[in-house]
Amino acid sequence: MENAHIVGRFDRDLNNIKARILEMGDLVISQIKDATGALQNTDTAKVDRLVATDRQINGMNKDIHTRAERLIALRQPMALDLRQALSPINIAAELERIGDHAKSTAKRSYKLADAPKDQETLQIVRQMSAMVQAMLTDILVAYNNSDIELAAKVRALDLEVDKLNKAAFAAALRGIFEDPQMAEIFVHLILLARNFERVGDHVVNIARHVHQIVTGEDLKASDQRNCPKPAGRLS
Amino acid sequence: MDKSYISAKGVNVFYGDKQALFDIDLNIGAKKVTALIGPSGCGKSTFLRSINRMNDLIPICRFDGSLQIGGQELYDPEVDVVALRAQVGMVFQKPNPFPKSIFENVAYGLKIHGLASSKQEMQDRVEWSLKSAGLWGEVADRLDEPGNSLSGGQQQRLCIARTIAVQPKVILMDEPCSALDPIATAVVEDLIDSLRKDYTIVIVTHSMQQAARISQRTAFFHLGKLIEVGNTKDVFTTPREEQTQNYITGRIG
Repeated sequence: MENAHIVGRFDRDLNNIKARILEMGDLVISQIKDATGALQNTDTAKVDRLVATDRQINGMNKDIHTRAERLIALRQPMALDLRQALSPINIAAELERIGDHAKSTAKRSYKLADAPKDQETLQIVRQMSAMVQAMLTDILVAYNNSDIELAAKVRALDLEVDKLNKAAFAAALRGIFEDPQMAEIFVHLILLARNFERVGDHVVNIARHVHQIVTGEDLKASDQRNCPKPAGRLS
Repeated sequence: MDKSYISAKGVNVFYGDKQALFDIDLNIGAKKVTALIGPSGCGKSTFLRSINRMNDLIPICRFDGSLQIGGQELYDPEVDVVALRAQVGMVFQKPNPFPKSIFENVAYGLKIHGLASSKQEMQDRVEWSLKSAGLWGEVADRLDEPGNSLSGGQQQRLCIARTIAVQPKVILMDEPCSALDPIATAVVEDLIDSLRKDYTIVIVTHSMQQAARISQRTAFFHLGKLIEVGNTKDVFTTPREEQTQNYITGRIG
């Protein structure tokens, strides 16, 4: 726990922004949960609520951006303070994108209304959803407590999400071969799995921000320096 | 590590019984801006004033340790302090032009150090100094007017022109913008940035943003001790010491 600022208002403003990030994060987690539930039982009213809540999430993103911008203009923060003031802008943007994936998942539930609910690919997709929800819960705790060890664990879990994405792809391919009539449903399932894989990536980005707030080190920059992405290769 | 031009080793400074600086080791690189920051009474101005032996003017002040510029020991008894101050110029918090004309303000140092052999050379060097200080365009047609008829920001640039007229190696600046408005401050900061290609500049400032903007190295002093020195971009983004972080972020340490 770092020392308090001489200007108490500065601490209150920073804490206020942090609380809004946590609130936004909780809302995004419930969106993913509800959207995944809609895959099981397509419910028009529920999907409409999810779409409306996504607009609320977009508003929270803008609000956090405005507050952080104002804080930076007024306080001209440096070092840890600057990172604490800047990171909500980035974290809120990641959460907003996760919210978009939840919305897209909910909308896709219409396409899966006739799909068998015990289908293997769908089960993997639900598993991915549960995993990214757990990662998101943990990363909010890590952000709240400046816990970089927990943030590192969350980053590592993304490999499991990636593996599940590949497993979902393989299962969907098998499904298409076995029952070509269901090809469209399997394509939607592949896209759903891709949605959750992207959510995992956004959570990893948040975990990197948490690391950067605490240490000042930009993991994305150092990862790119150490492991340049091979050109022209699909995962 | 930069090659140091000013080198302090084990510097202790006392005012009577009170010790103001404790065992300071600090290397300052040539042709860079080094900012000294820290709370009031931390010793940064005492250190700055040790570099041109301004502290000699305070009878109870005592210096102990080694302070060298370009390998020359400043506190060697044989050092000519007047010649030293020609090599190490100083700009103060409040612009302090002499009660003379703009021209005479700049020519003064040249005269007392005998640095111009003819009237023409004197005029050339005054013009060069005023141009280097970014003031020539504003005063070229009013060189006979009193220096204190200029605005605060112009007066401070006149003082900088007066300092660089004798072509020092080092320029010390003690909060040079604290009495200036934001526009005049920006002009002086821009000037400092352009001067660093020719001079080693050491600046004391209470503005963290100013230190971050204009310096390449930053040294943080606290209670007479040097807590941390490093590249400015590191000190203001990821300081090594908690005391530095507390100070630059305005926290209760």
